[in-house]
Amino acid sequence: MRGRGCFWLVAAAGCAWLIGAAISPAGAETIHFGAIVPLTGPGAVIGNQEMRGIQFAIDQANAKGGVQGNPVQVQFEDNQAKPDQSVLSFNKLVDLQGVPMIFTGYSGPTLAMAPLATRKKVLMVNAGAQSDRLGTASPYLVNTIPSTSDEVKVMVRYLMDHGKKTAAVLYENDAAGIGGRDDFVTDYQKAGGKITGQEPTQFGQTDYRPALLKLAGTNPDVLYVVITAGMVPLADQLHQMGGHWLVAGSTFMSDPQAIADPSSTGLIHTQVQVNAPPELAAEFQKKYGAEMDFFARQYYNATQIILTVLDKVLTEKKKVTGQNLRTALFEIKTFQGLIPMEFNSNTATVPIAINEMRDGKDVTLTTATAQ
Amino acid sequence: MVLLQLLLNGIVTGCALGVVAVSFALVYSTTRIFHVAHAGIYTLGGYLAWSCVTHGVPDPVALLLAMLACTLLGALIQAQLYARLERRGATHLIVLIASLGVLAVIQNVIAAVYSPNILQFPSAWAAGVVAVGRLRLTYAQIATLGISLAAFVAVLLFARLTLLGKRIRAVASNPFLAEITRLEPRRVYIYVIGIASAVVCVPGVLVPLDLGLQPYGGVTPLLTATIAMIAGGVGSFAGAFMLSVAIVVFQNLSLLVIPGEWSIGITFFIFVVFMLFRPRGLFASA
Repeated sequence: MRGRGCFWLVAAAGCAWLIGAAISPAGAETIHFGAIVPLTGPGAVIGNQEMRGIQFAIDQANAKGGVQGNPVQVQFEDNQAKPDQSVLSFNKLVDLQGVPMIFTGYSGPTLAMAPLATRKKVLMVNAGAQSDRLGTASPYLVNTIPSTSDEVKVMVRYLMDHGKKTAAVLYENDAAGIGGRDDFVTDYQKAGGKITGQEPTQFGQTDYRPALLKLAGTNPDVLYVVITAGMVPLADQLHQMGGHWLVAGSTFMSDPQAIADPSSTGLIHTQVQVNAPPELAAEFQKKYGAEMDFFARQYYNATQIILTVLDKVLTEKKKVTGQNLRTALFEIKTFQGLIPMEFNSNTATVPIAINEMRDGKDVTLTTATAQ
Repeated sequence: MVLLQLLLNGIVTGCALGVVAVSFALVYSTTRIFHVAHAGIYTLGGYLAWSCVTHGVPDPVALLLAMLACTLLGALIQAQLYARLERRGATHLIVLIASLGVLAVIQNVIAAVYSPNILQFPSAWAAGVVAVGRLRLTYAQIATLGISLAAFVAVLLFARLTLLGKRIRAVASNPFLAEITRLEPRRVYIYVIGIASAVVCVPGVLVPLDLGLQPYGGVTPLLTATIAMIAGGVGSFAGAFMLSVAIVVFQNLSLLVIPGEWSIGITFFIFVVFMLFRPRGLFASA
């Protein structure tokens, strides 16, 4: 009796396998990608937005049957925005999981992983970090966000057109902040402006008063800010100081909480124009109970690009490797996602706006490109 | 004018850190436990007060409720963790590691419950500014200054004038003698960490009222406070408080002559040199 039970069990399993093989596409298998973003620590605000943007795009693709019948999964690793932790996560994803492509963010961690990406031929896609060095850090690192220098060029042109000839710089003392500071100082001086002072802050710091006081003492027309976290306390402290300078910055400033803060009124910043259609934003809001903000849109867009690239690789019946994904990306070159994007180099060319925070809203004043 | 404003801001922040240093000194000089989890209690106090305020509780009541909760948590940590470890013969290093573990748990629970975002208190009054000439202080800074000074004086008076304060000093002075004279050191340790937790909750609420809350924001204040406690002389509350103010004021004023990235490094270099010449601290009793 027991032997007969086993026979029927094996027979049923065999039938199920045959039926499954008949209805699923030939060779369909789950494709694994990785993402190394900060999910804890001060960078987690942005890291969680990035994770949601990626997962939202992946879920949409899988709901439509995956890419050519292949479901896609992204394994998320928490790097706490730290370079050393990022390298460990990279090795884990590549050596143990064998992923051919990794989403990254934050300049320091991405720069730390770039040599590994070159050596192991793993495609890295950065949609959030903007250090200039990212453009040439690795042939396997592509950036779907313009570098700080592109944004700085647009801002410097705007400031000069509006007669702002002296500037002080408040920057975060890390790869992103120092890169932004250097770009601004170089371009501003080249355009005929004078730098009156520079002061660093630490990542995650919220007491800016000493640095602001010192910079205010140099009487600049403009305070250029390059920090990636702590925009709300900065806006509050600037407001309390009652300075008579124009405060300017980059996309880093586009923290939704800062935009909503009344103290931010009058702050201007460059902004990559990546907008979500209302129905997409509503679906995101419904799923996560949160607004689809800048970094979620950026990483959603980057994921769509990678899914398009994956589709091409699978169509050409090539193996899904970092090398093949990279080749396909540059062959496609132009993408029409949430924002028109062209890859003439490792960093995409995209339109950049100058926005002003005004009464809880981010209002576009003008749009340009770095070129 | 910039110098005066930097000095004023330094005194405000220094007083808040001074209270952290005094509370940490109270724990360390009595129990000899390097209670790193104190940084977690400092942070938690702010978040608990924030929760109360966002639910409509007036700010002073929120502060008192947060102090009460922190007192209970501190006492719980001593009674259920440190005391148990001590009974099992754990070394100071083991207790330190356990304390670090508690800190990590508190920080991560806060990040999970409240999110890792920087949170601002919804207390509009705190952002108001008082200007005297070109000097400006927010109401939150004025409250921090006044309440921190009051908390410092209260701790001094408590230690010198109350029966429990004298009992704590006796236990700190000689735990063995305190044991045989039935001063019950173990019970005193619970009181001490409970009281210190209530005290550290004061700057834990007042500083974020001005600068915002972060789950991982308690470690840097505790580090500075620890240095102030050592430089001030372990066991000297006045020394810990004054050195806290001095360190922060020095850090602020040094900005006038050196770039900000050197400020912390140079401050601590001076501390190291100072400790070489006076290893027992500035106000150490013999």
